[in-house]
Amino acid sequence: MIDAINIGILVVSLLIVIAVFTSLFSSRFGAPLLLVFLGVGLLAGEDGLLGIQFDNAATAYFIGSIALALILFDSGFETKLASFKIAATPAITLATAGVLLTTGIMGAAVHYLFDLPWLLALLCGAIVSSTDAAAVFFLLRLGGIHLRDRMQSTIEVESGSNDPMAIFLTVMLVELIAAPAGEAHTAWSFVQILFQQIGFGIALGVGGGLVIVELVNRVKLDAALYPIVLLGSALALFGLVGTLGGSAFLAVYVAGLYAGNVPLRNAGSLRRFQRVTTWLAQIGMFLTLGLLATPSEFGVVLIPALVLTIILIFVARPVAVWSCMWFFDFSRADITFMSWVGLRGAVSILLAIVPLLAGIEGAQMVFNATFIVVMASLAIQGWSIGPVARWLKVTVPPREGPVERIDLPLPVETDQEILVYKVHPQSRVAKGETIPRWAMPSLILRDRQLLQSHMAGNIKAGDHLYVVTAPGRAGLLDQLFAGPAADDHDRDLFGDFILSPEALLADVARLYGFPLKKGDEEMTVAGAIKREHHGLLERADRVAYGPVDLIVRQVDERHRITEVGLSLDADDLSPKPIVKDGLLDRLKANLTARRKQRGSEDK
Amino acid sequence: MEIEDLLNPDNVLAGFRASSKKQALQALSRHLAEKVGVDCRDAFDGLMERERLGSTGVGHGVAIPHARLKGLDRIVGLFAQLAEPIPFDSVDDQPVDLIFMLLVPEEAGADHLKALAKVSRLLRDDRMCEKLRATHKAPALFAMLSQPASNAA
Repeated sequence: MIDAINIGILVVSLLIVIAVFTSLFSSRFGAPLLLVFLGVGLLAGEDGLLGIQFDNAATAYFIGSIALALILFDSGFETKLASFKIAATPAITLATAGVLLTTGIMGAAVHYLFDLPWLLALLCGAIVSSTDAAAVFFLLRLGGIHLRDRMQSTIEVESGSNDPMAIFLTVMLVELIAAPAGEAHTAWSFVQILFQQIGFGIALGVGGGLVIVELVNRVKLDAALYPIVLLGSALALFGLVGTLGGSAFLAVYVAGLYAGNVPLRNAGSLRRFQRVTTWLAQIGMFLTLGLLATPSEFGVVLIPALVLTIILIFVARPVAVWSCMWFFDFSRADITFMSWVGLRGAVSILLAIVPLLAGIEGAQMVFNATFIVVMASLAIQGWSIGPVARWLKVTVPPREGPVERIDLPLPVETDQEILVYKVHPQSRVAKGETIPRWAMPSLILRDRQLLQSHMAGNIKAGDHLYVVTAPGRAGLLDQLFAGPAADDHDRDLFGDFILSPEALLADVARLYGFPLKKGDEEMTVAGAIKREHHGLLERADRVAYGPVDLIVRQVDERHRITEVGLSLDADDLSPKPIVKDGLLDRLKANLTARRKQRGSEDK
Repeated sequence: MEIEDLLNPDNVLAGFRASSKKQALQALSRHLAEKVGVDCRDAFDGLMERERLGSTGVGHGVAIPHARLKGLDRIVGLFAQLAEPIPFDSVDDQPVDLIFMLLVPEEAGADHLKALAKVSRLLRDDRMCEKLRATHKAPALFAMLSQPASNAA
């Protein structure tokens, strides 16, 4: 017995360590890491090298639920309220209506192509209807891709908040299918349950968040215990809400969102701990799901599942995203990109266990098909996410270059914080700019020696600076000590020339030869850009005026334009096309022409 | 449109000395205006009017001042390598030591933008700019500008 336990521990922990080390391989080849984790699970499983027999769907679902709860709590915790606010409406539309549409389209596809009964077909649709936040963000980070704030936030909030809807639909459909004949469910009762789930989820989530924050901030404990309090209470909330009939996943997300946006004792170390648990949860979930699958049974459903993946990627997701995003102020390129980042992940596989648990006929087939869809989606979309982002020109260069900054935790709450910076060799300060008084370091760590700042003389590249500062100054400090922002694509993205925002559109029109609309004689260039973008303006927003593009180069903290760029036909200028394929070139030319057309219609 | 179509070897200056943005634009526009036979006051005014919309200093020590001008029959350019960099209100706040000036006929359409785009693209290349800074002879500068491909290799 003891032996078996030891062997069990050995195998499980080795699997986890192996999974972590495969991430090295993964970042070298740009392979979606989660695909690798799944692969390790598959390899260890009954058809793989280790031949581990694991077919306990209930255990897998249990592990998966806990992991997902932790991941969602962290995903809320890491979401800034500011980005939640700018993205809330489009993201929540996607997370609700978008999920419904995807479910409907996929359900119809399954019903008509494979002749499954409607309910089962819709169940298949619901299972694959939510996207995976972790997959998307890991890949964006890995590729060094920076998206514009609002799109980044929309994708982030969408993928964090669409799981509850997908879970709800799945559970609902499974209950419908499993319900004994004669027990009638009315449409009305579903709407009621939906609202109950969402209502309880949000209300208890906020309540839970409040309680968690109070617990962490009020109770005096050993510092190492706070992360446990945080995670323990998040999981308790998850269980409680689920028991009471609310959406437990929604509740932990909301609680995380609340807790992550109010002052929290030891916030820095809590965040670090959260990152660890989230990774562990991801790895654990994918490994478990990989172990649960039996690849030798995949053959039967392989082709149908691949067909469904193609429909999902090229029909269902684009249709859902376009119909939801059409009402918001996103460019075609933005919407196209959002359609492409609909990566499916562990949630879908986890949901595919639900019908297994309920003992629905055909559940194993649904599970296998879902597994293939997720793997194919991770492979196809995951591998192409970087090139697609660059091709659609939805990326922006980072506002500043690489910065090494550490937040030092303080034992009690103060209205100041200590930040530690490593001075980048190409930073403004290293190049001789004087440090403003408020940014003066208290201590300098140089060549393994701690010096008081008046003893240290001039600051040198590579110094670690200990700066005591008011909260919220980190952004300004970053600019002093960070390396220069990479601006290889700067002029492609922000134009060849600068214009003052107050420059008159009429003057620019005369100089660059485009016709002016009536009534625009007094219009400034900033006003002209603002008119075309109804939402908040952001860096790199652009408007086509005849042959030139006007571009937002800089905005202040209230999203007012402070600097405008002028691009001379950027498309003609692209130094090297990323995609050389003839068909794609034609598509791109077509898109450009349409963008131009839209620009000229506006005049 | 090639750089040679814009640039005459006479209008390439090496080691040009200027004290300020305004003085540089004044001297360079006079040089160019005299060569192509237009009023130098008009040229200078046009360039300054453009600068008021926003500096044509595009960053990395490069400026591309440009203006539309009556009475011109083709697009003309001038390139000056400065002996000492001068402040130019550039986008990156760096002083400027490479100036490519363009004067464009009033009625020039898309050609005008193509020429600007061409020059902008040419001077985006940091290696190109380094070479332009390292050379002190006007004919060599002209050769580099007019045959960027062979030089870049």
